[in-house]
Amino acid sequence: MSSISDRRYTRRDTVLFIMCLGLSILSLFSPVSWSYSVADTLRRTVLAPLVWLQTRAEEGRTSRVRFRTVTAQRDSAAYLAQFLPALRAENERLRQLLKLSHRLNIGYVPAEVLHQPHATDGRTLLLSVGSRQGVGPFNPVVAPEGLIGMVLTTTPQSSVAMTWAHPEFRVSAYTVGGNALGVVAPSTENGGEGALELRGVPFRDSIPLGTLVLSSGLGGVFPKGIPIGSVVGTIREEAGWERVYRLRPAANPGSAPHVLVLVGSRATDLVSAFPSDSLLEAMRQDSLARIERADSLAQAAKALRAARRDSLARTSPMLGGSPTSAARAVKDSTP
Amino acid sequence: MSPQRVTRVQLLLLMLFLMTLQFYLRPRLGSARVSPDFLLIGLMLFAMRSGAGAGAMAGFLVGLIEDSLTPARFGASALAHTLVGYFAAWGRAVFFADNMLVNAAFVAVGLWFRDLVVLVTSGTEHRQLFTELTLYSPLQALTTAGFALLVLVTFRAWFSIRLDA
Repeated sequence: MSSISDRRYTRRDTVLFIMCLGLSILSLFSPVSWSYSVADTLRRTVLAPLVWLQTRAEEGRTSRVRFRTVTAQRDSAAYLAQFLPALRAENERLRQLLKLSHRLNIGYVPAEVLHQPHATDGRTLLLSVGSRQGVGPFNPVVAPEGLIGMVLTTTPQSSVAMTWAHPEFRVSAYTVGGNALGVVAPSTENGGEGALELRGVPFRDSIPLGTLVLSSGLGGVFPKGIPIGSVVGTIREEAGWERVYRLRPAANPGSAPHVLVLVGSRATDLVSAFPSDSLLEAMRQDSLARIERADSLAQAAKALRAARRDSLARTSPMLGGSPTSAARAVKDSTP
Repeated sequence: MSPQRVTRVQLLLLMLFLMTLQFYLRPRLGSARVSPDFLLIGLMLFAMRSGAGAGAMAGFLVGLIEDSLTPARFGASALAHTLVGYFAAWGRAVFFADNMLVNAAFVAVGLWFRDLVVLVTSGTEHRQLFTELTLYSPLQALTTAGFALLVLVTFRAWFSIRLDA
């Protein structure tokens, strides 16, 4: 049996509970305008410190989020900056390719090289263009620097190109000066990986180092004038009738991201489309040689004039010479 | 100053601390929907150590605070917290829940019940009601009960009193 104080205590609890319950239900079913005004009043007065506290917390969270965002943006920028040199290089390469396409007087199809993670990737390349774009077997493949190879097989969407690094690759070539003809093939010498050799050059035709070797257009596959490489040395001399030269390739198929597939007539001369340093050097040397020749002619004429003056001086009686010696001198100086 | 009074002051400080956590820490936590409800923890811990009337009154005040801050359905939270406060005090008397794990379980059940009352009185659509009561409320109940257990373990001595004694 409960005491009076316990009963009073329970009654008080019940009253409090019913009162709170009633107020809750009253506020639940009170008009919306009343509810909002009560809530506004509470927020402005009693709950103002709590709202302020929560506002600071939200600001702190937002600042943290903003800081994270800024940090992420900075990290992204740093990450992108790592690729900036590569992007610049690719951009430069695309510009070169664009310039080359303007200079080419032959039909072409631009293609992307889909490099594969294989050790033999440099020997054959998968190109992003195929027969649907007009690419066919034996179409030459070039880069801004020079010859890459030729198309082996095609599908409507893609094609496979054989590069100069392929063991079966051959191209007829000549030197810029035009004094030597030969056949370029991948180097088979020890350590010749990534190098080319110019075979079949007659023993009498000596090629200076640095000479640019171009495709000759013979064979009907590659047009004339595509740079293949430059001479960096002699590999061997066979039995005194042939020299084999080592070439540094002009273009690297292993790192070429974009190429042009030439689809036009093979009889076109492409020398003017590839104005390489070596070609310019050759042209400069040609002009120097011409100047030198002109100089030597001028010197010969000068010497002739001097000889004439001397002979005239010797034959003139006024200057102490004799007519006989003068006639001999004129006869000697006449070419 | 009697030891019991000291404990009441400490308990008041703890409630203020929980309120601060509610309005300063909770917004910084990840998902507001599943992060612990510190106000409810304070209400439950207070109600389980006081009489049913005081529990109902505390619940009404807590509900009024929440209604004022989220006045989507003014009065729903007050009603829910009043019921939770009252039944927490009544349940503690019935179950003699001095075990901390039982206390934490009370907190979890109280939170789920609070959500049920608020959602029903707010006229929530059935599918959303089902999702809330089967997914978010249990998750929040778990996190809230976990934190309540942490508070009980940390401040064990402070909760060793009955405020209605």
